Amino acid sequence: MEKNKIGLHTFMALPAFALFSVFFIYPLIKGIGMSLTDWDGMSKASFIGLDNFRQFFGDERAINNIRTTVLFALGSAPLLNLVGLIYALLMNSRFKGKGLARMIIYLPAIISPLIMGYIWYLLLQPGRGFIYHFLEQMGKSSWFGNWLGSYGTAMLVLILVNVWQYAGMTMVIYLAGLQAIPEELYEAAKVDGATFPKRLFYITLPMLMPAIRINVVTNIIGSLSVFDIVMSLTSGGPGYATETLSIYIMRMSYGARTGYSTAVAIIMFFIILIPVLVSMWLTRVKSLD
Amino acid sequence: MNKMLNLMRKFTIIFICLLCMLPFVVLLILSLNTPKRVFYEGNMFIPDFYVMNYVEGWKKSNIGNAMVNSAIITIIALAIIIIISAMAGYTISRFNYKFNKIIFAILLSCMMIPGIINTVPLYTLMIDLNAINTLWGMALVCATNALPQGVFVFSGFIRTIPKEIEESAIIDGCSYFTSFWRIVFPLLKPSISAIVILNGFGIWNNYSQAVFFLQDSRKHNVPQALSVYFQQFAGAKWNLMAATAVIAIIPVIIAFLLFQKNLMKGLTDGALKG
Repeated sequence: MEKNKIGLHTFMALPAFALFSVFFIYPLIKGIGMSLTDWDGMSKASFIGLDNFRQFFGDERAINNIRTTVLFALGSAPLLNLVGLIYALLMNSRFKGKGLARMIIYLPAIISPLIMGYIWYLLLQPGRGFIYHFLEQMGKSSWFGNWLGSYGTAMLVLILVNVWQYAGMTMVIYLAGLQAIPEELYEAAKVDGATFPKRLFYITLPMLMPAIRINVVTNIIGSLSVFDIVMSLTSGGPGYATETLSIYIMRMSYGARTGYSTAVAIIMFFIILIPVLVSMWLTRVKSLD
Repeated sequence: MNKMLNLMRKFTIIFICLLCMLPFVVLLILSLNTPKRVFYEGNMFIPDFYVMNYVEGWKKSNIGNAMVNSAIITIIALAIIIIISAMAGYTISRFNYKFNKIIFAILLSCMMIPGIINTVPLYTLMIDLNAINTLWGMALVCATNALPQGVFVFSGFIRTIPKEIEESAIIDGCSYFTSFWRIVFPLLKPSISAIVILNGFGIWNNYSQAVFFLQDSRKHNVPQALSVYFQQFAGAKWNLMAATAVIAIIPVIIAFLLFQKNLMKGLTDGALKG
């Protein structure tokens, strides 16, 4: 196509770039400046160097927030991918009601995670939740525990609810990836006598790499910045035990510690960036010939 | 052996579907019980079919207003995302200008930064722009969040469209700009539905940024209105809470039913090829 003729088409990327500059890049740079001040959001800010960062790493609550956020992601992101992949492999064949099943499994993903958290809270509440009553009617009420009341089980509940909600989304991406694999590859492998595990590891998984990449990266980002579901299920409790970094940022900013909260955001940025870069490198697509 | 496996597969899928639906079923049962009924007494799976919960939940919560707000934000944001990222995707995939490459590289590298990171400095910018507590301001924020992914999906998809499609129009004296709108844009339907599904529900459900930018209760969106209403009752009137949640979920499910037919096609043709 003839190039370099200047016309309207030359500038078609500018609206996107302008919007992105104003609402994303500018605040991002401004945030770096703000993180070096003690600004409270109202009065005049003064420069305090790296004090906010020092304060963060000296704060027990903040360190615990990192632990909670990372633990949540370590449980949630791999499990989401595994469950989503298993669902996709189960669903990747023709059968009656496939469309309906796919729709039902995807359904939780479109509901607000905040509402989802409330729904699960209604189910899990001690003494009067649905699950308690269900177990009681079966005569097994001793099986019930106040799972949201202690750190370990509350984390487990948060991870499982998150996996339950978004497995459908991961599944759909994997299904789309599976459909893109040419059928001839499997037929050739079957002729050569390759067993199911061999076909899985030598054809399916390598060919699925673009989908794996999208899923792994989105799930890492999503679970490290988790907010809604924690707000509605535990609101960071008991105490501050299950408080995540994004909730901490919101609370610090509400508490008139604007400068400090931007410093937390920068720390969170690196906590997300490192695993994302590593996983992008691990899932890079090698040229297939 | 194969028949056994197939049967097991079917049962597993049915079990997964039941697991996915269970909370919705419980929510529906709760929302139809009378306030007097002690939780789940008698047969817990048969509700009282008491619809007054819905009337009261609708009246006492801000949910109707919030649904209008969420709808306005979602529609404006999606329109912006689709129009400007399709335009950017076109010029990036068709013309090798240096600044096109730079813009694409910047957008891609920002794709992995979640919105919460720059929310606080963005908040001060929004105050300067008088965009706090405005639906257009929130829509612009949501559109910006989705922009890198949008440009990525559209540029990937446009690369798969042969250039000859516009070429004849160019020879007839059409500019690239008009031929994009007349010829290429109508072909982008699969990518557009992928963008709508991948971002639309997230924008409708946005809570973490709405908490900052929509603090006025008249401008609250759906998650905010529900969270305020739920906190008022603090676990006391479950039936009302459940009914209000059902009201909030219904439009989302309807929209999903309308778009889900294009979901798989949009994903296979649009998102993954990029």
